[in-house]
Amino acid sequence: MKPPSEEHDLIRWIDGEMNETERATFEERLKQDPVLAKEARQMRDLSTSLRAHLPAEMRVPHADYFNTQIEVRITQMALDDTRAKQAAPGWGIMLQWLRQPWFAMAGTAALAVLGFFLLSPGTGDASESMILSSYTPNTHVQARTYHDTGAEATVLMLDGLDAVPAERKVSGIHIQRSEVEPELASTTMFDVHGTPVLMISRDALGNPMITPRG
Amino acid sequence: MKPFLTALSLLACTAVACAQGEPPPQLSSVKHATDGHVWGALIFATNDATQLTGASEPVHAELPKLHERLAKVFPFKHFEILGQHRQDIFREYESWVVPSRDLFMKIDSKGPADKGGVNLHLQVWREQQVLVKSDAVLRKDSPLFIGGPPWKQGRLIFVLFLERK
Repeated sequence: MKPPSEEHDLIRWIDGEMNETERATFEERLKQDPVLAKEARQMRDLSTSLRAHLPAEMRVPHADYFNTQIEVRITQMALDDTRAKQAAPGWGIMLQWLRQPWFAMAGTAALAVLGFFLLSPGTGDASESMILSSYTPNTHVQARTYHDTGAEATVLMLDGLDAVPAERKVSGIHIQRSEVEPELASTTMFDVHGTPVLMISRDALGNPMITPRG
Repeated sequence: MKPFLTALSLLACTAVACAQGEPPPQLSSVKHATDGHVWGALIFATNDATQLTGASEPVHAELPKLHERLAKVFPFKHFEILGQHRQDIFREYESWVVPSRDLFMKIDSKGPADKGGVNLHLQVWREQQVLVKSDAVLRKDSPLFIGGPPWKQGRLIFVLFLERK
């Protein structure tokens, strides 16, 4: 077994990370040590083969979603910092505010607005479904959400989606129940007669894969 | 002696079945914990009755006047249920609602919501493409209408509804 320093030198030599002097010294060692030379040749061949067969760049699944989430988190942290700095002056300034003559009127107005929102029947009713957040990977698609009192439904409207071609036959399925197989990461779905209709699983990129295809 | 003979005969029967190419008897599936049950439907909305597909899927019994309610949100006269799916919301596994191969939904439960209902992460998929990802609270008697892509001068709509049971 090679010492870790020798292994490290071997990897640096294969990756071309050595300077002129280091490379000359290491290649001299290779000439004197046939076992190390054989291993170096095998590792270099393997490295060359891997580089030849793997793509230089691999697509990250849903990278845009990942980036957006990071941006949202950074924005939230910046806002938190700003709020913390604004709150820092503390009680002295707050007491000065309390002494201002307009404070009583502003406070009353704020309470009235708060009461309106709390007592308003259409706002935040605990019996309604709610959309808390939405994200559309396609930037041309916009998601609007609202509660329609007349329809007694919560609406998530996706505007800007590409139309399904008119000639395409969109057909439905009637699924009555399903069974999940955690080991296979798949779900089998059955119709009202208990007959298996389709199975859904994931492909290598994590996208859903329905079999049999329609 | 009798239990031994019974076990032996069962083993023999299984061996014969396998030898004849028949699948071995299936074990009953494991019942996974759930946070509720949903009904999902894919609906085609149009103003042109001649474009209806002829599908005759029934409306869920707990969702009265669905077509009238849809008409208050979407400016169409005719609403046709193309497919529907009743699905457990698995507590530990993802759940799929597939009323159609063209438009379907993945649901991840995030547990019961305050004041009733269930917290969900939803993803609407169109074949291999995710259209929207949402965090939502789904409550009983309050369906979710999702306005999907246009189709044949009409529109596809996904309805998700938390069943009472």
